[in-house]
Amino acid sequence: MKSLRSLLRRAIVPSLAVVTALLLGAVVIILTDFENLSRIGTDPLGAIGAAVGGVFNGYGAMLTGAFGDPERIRLAFENPSDRTIATAIRPITETLVAATPLIFVGLAVAISFRTGMFNIGGDGQLIVGALGATIVGVGLQTSGLPSLVILVIAIAASVVFGGLWGFIPGFLKARTGAHEVITTIMLNYIGAQVVLFALLGPALRAPGSSQPISKNMSAWVDVPSIISLPAIRLDYGFVAAMVMAAAVSLLLFRTTKGYELRAAGFNMTAARYAGMSAGGSMMLGMTLSGGLAGMGGGFLVIGATGQLTNDLSGGIGFNAIALALLAGLRPSGVVAAGLLFGALTTGGKVMGIQSGIPFDLLFFIMAMVIMFVAAPGLIRSIWRVRVPKPAPEVASVAPTAPAEPV
Amino acid sequence: MSAAVASPLPHGEGLAARRALRDARIRGATFLALGVASFYFASSSFQTPAIFGFRIYTTGRETFEVATSVGLLWMIAGLAAALVGALQLWRGATFRWRPWLLVLLAPYVTVILGALLNGTTANLTRVLSGSFELATPLTLGALAGILSERSGMFNIALEGKMLIGACVSVVVGSVVLGATGNMFAATVAGVSAAMIAGGLLGLLLAWLGIRHRVDQIIAGTVINIGAVGITNFLFLRVLGSSPELNTPPNVSAMQLPFLSEIPVLGPLLFSLRPYVYLSIILVLVLTYLIYRTRWGLRLRASGEKPAAAGTVGINVLQIRYRALLFAGLICGLAGSYLPLATAGSFQMQMTAGKGFIALAAMIFGAWHPIGAFAAALVFGFADSAQALLSILGAQVPPQLLNSVPYVVTIVVVAGVVGRVRGPASAGQPYEQG
Repeated sequence: MKSLRSLLRRAIVPSLAVVTALLLGAVVIILTDFENLSRIGTDPLGAIGAAVGGVFNGYGAMLTGAFGDPERIRLAFENPSDRTIATAIRPITETLVAATPLIFVGLAVAISFRTGMFNIGGDGQLIVGALGATIVGVGLQTSGLPSLVILVIAIAASVVFGGLWGFIPGFLKARTGAHEVITTIMLNYIGAQVVLFALLGPALRAPGSSQPISKNMSAWVDVPSIISLPAIRLDYGFVAAMVMAAAVSLLLFRTTKGYELRAAGFNMTAARYAGMSAGGSMMLGMTLSGGLAGMGGGFLVIGATGQLTNDLSGGIGFNAIALALLAGLRPSGVVAAGLLFGALTTGGKVMGIQSGIPFDLLFFIMAMVIMFVAAPGLIRSIWRVRVPKPAPEVASVAPTAPAEPV
Repeated sequence: MSAAVASPLPHGEGLAARRALRDARIRGATFLALGVASFYFASSSFQTPAIFGFRIYTTGRETFEVATSVGLLWMIAGLAAALVGALQLWRGATFRWRPWLLVLLAPYVTVILGALLNGTTANLTRVLSGSFELATPLTLGALAGILSERSGMFNIALEGKMLIGACVSVVVGSVVLGATGNMFAATVAGVSAAMIAGGLLGLLLAWLGIRHRVDQIIAGTVINIGAVGITNFLFLRVLGSSPELNTPPNVSAMQLPFLSEIPVLGPLLFSLRPYVYLSIILVLVLTYLIYRTRWGLRLRASGEKPAAAGTVGINVLQIRYRALLFAGLICGLAGSYLPLATAGSFQMQMTAGKGFIALAAMIFGAWHPIGAFAAALVFGFADSAQALLSILGAQVPPQLLNSVPYVVTIVVVAGVVGRVRGPASAGQPYEQG
């Protein structure tokens, strides 16, 4: 029972953080609903009612978009066929599809934060990793190799490319003290330009297109599907994400190397005096982090989308930061928060289509989630609840040692 | 023995001194090698002309042209590099090479520009005045960063504050312009609103960091991501359907009386937007305030050794709150520059990393306003030259040119140009007893 209670206690702040952030999002939706609010002088109750109704519309669309429409699910039970079942379960499978890269990048962020590195380069590492997978995928088009072999090589390439993109800031931090926040952000921009350059070249670009879109690789390489129904995209990339979560958990909490990584995150100076190589931990942590994000990009581009576009990531890197903090930097928490954010992402897109509330509101909601998780005092004073102290590794990711030796 | 400790000799003993001497020798050899390589490049490019034009007056089209050859420019650059290398080897570890590096930058940038243009005439007046213009948001952002970090607070949120400032200035400016039709009033209203928004975000950052002990990097990231979310949302939901909210006033170049009539220099330096003059004035004022006033001493004490500052009765937390408020005001001003002076409207994520480049300029400038201004000018020049090269169709992929500012930022932050030390306690929470 004790473990269940501690789990519940740990879940208080994250759950209230998400609820509060969604409420703030609702306030933003109401305040920007000028069409309805312009009537406030003549018909105040009706205007506010309509604006609040807009919130229910939007969030309702988000809910059905993420978990399925009860009407369609009923239809599938009454009249089960491939098509009705597919339309009924499609929202929930899309949620899992959206959760997959989020879990990969969330794990990447968690591992780097545990090492004391504030990696906000998830976007760049993901897209560069996807580029690596695309280069292999397109390059092996005429090789005649079976799909599974190409898939393995492509994923390996995505890990190498993403890992390299993570290694650079780790190396620079260890050797020169360059702050990883600035270098990873800059590498995001550079990665986007590199991918654009590669996509506009003749080698990868889809034939007949002037847009930066690569050839569609699904004809010769694909991630195998879990459920073979029409229009269901859920594939074994999701399973791979689960496996990586378990692997990261084992690495961080059951191995010596993982202990060294966490020690560097807790207290760089103490780790150094204990004879561990702090610089080595930084580089290893960032390389693993980049490799995980790159792997997420690889599965995304080979599996769900089948082709590389320059806007592939769509802010996953930033959402992953919120997600990892929400999860308390625990791999199991990353999976849970990844599912939640997958639902928000899928539902948010449906909300954008059905109610005209732009998807980008989610970034604001995510930012608020980060704020409330990082400042539990706010949650305490808003909801009047007793909250446990945050774990030390969540409270601070800043290097504890002086950044620059004199 | 104590005398030796009190006055460290330039050629002192010990590991550090030996390492410094070795570094100095490597540096000198590198400069010399650069010079030799330049002479090699010169040998093959005397035939390529390099023509740079300058506008003489702000009105009219007369230009005055400097015609030379790329080879000659390589020779000059190579000679300069070899000279610096020789000086470095001669003076050893005591040589102050960093200013010389900036001196060297000029001939090398000129020759690279000439080589890339490959014979086409370039209008340098536009490039150079453009550097001042493009440097302005970076200078202002860097000043905001200096204020915060000197007080002991990391300010990763420059980017988000600039983005919010840009959006607010556009909306308020458009509304006032639509209501009054007065360009000047609309500009003032838009800029003031942007500054207030930035200031409030600065206070939020300080409140999260000081009151709630949120890691200052995380607090900054909250503002950065939230700013992207809220401005994208507003753009898509409101500005898209009502373009009358996205037609802000336009801040155009201002011809300074008399000064703008000086030949060559007039169009180059004295017919720029008021923002540029304002940013230069702010650089000078802040330099004075930080290094010559009681307030500046207290600010620096809060960032270097807050415990000591607190012991002598300085209210460290109040200093930090105020510093972040002022930094936010300046950030808002910087943000308003983008739509009002250059783009003419608000675009999604229009800051495009300028807040982070401003941080790099701050580090490059060693947390000193004038240094940061010089660094911002270097970034501004890179940006401006890139625009020129892409217009003239130089044989470089545009994606590569677009990456240049970001690559330069990484190089700067990684300290390839030399390590500089920031305020000792920046980023660490302080508890007032």
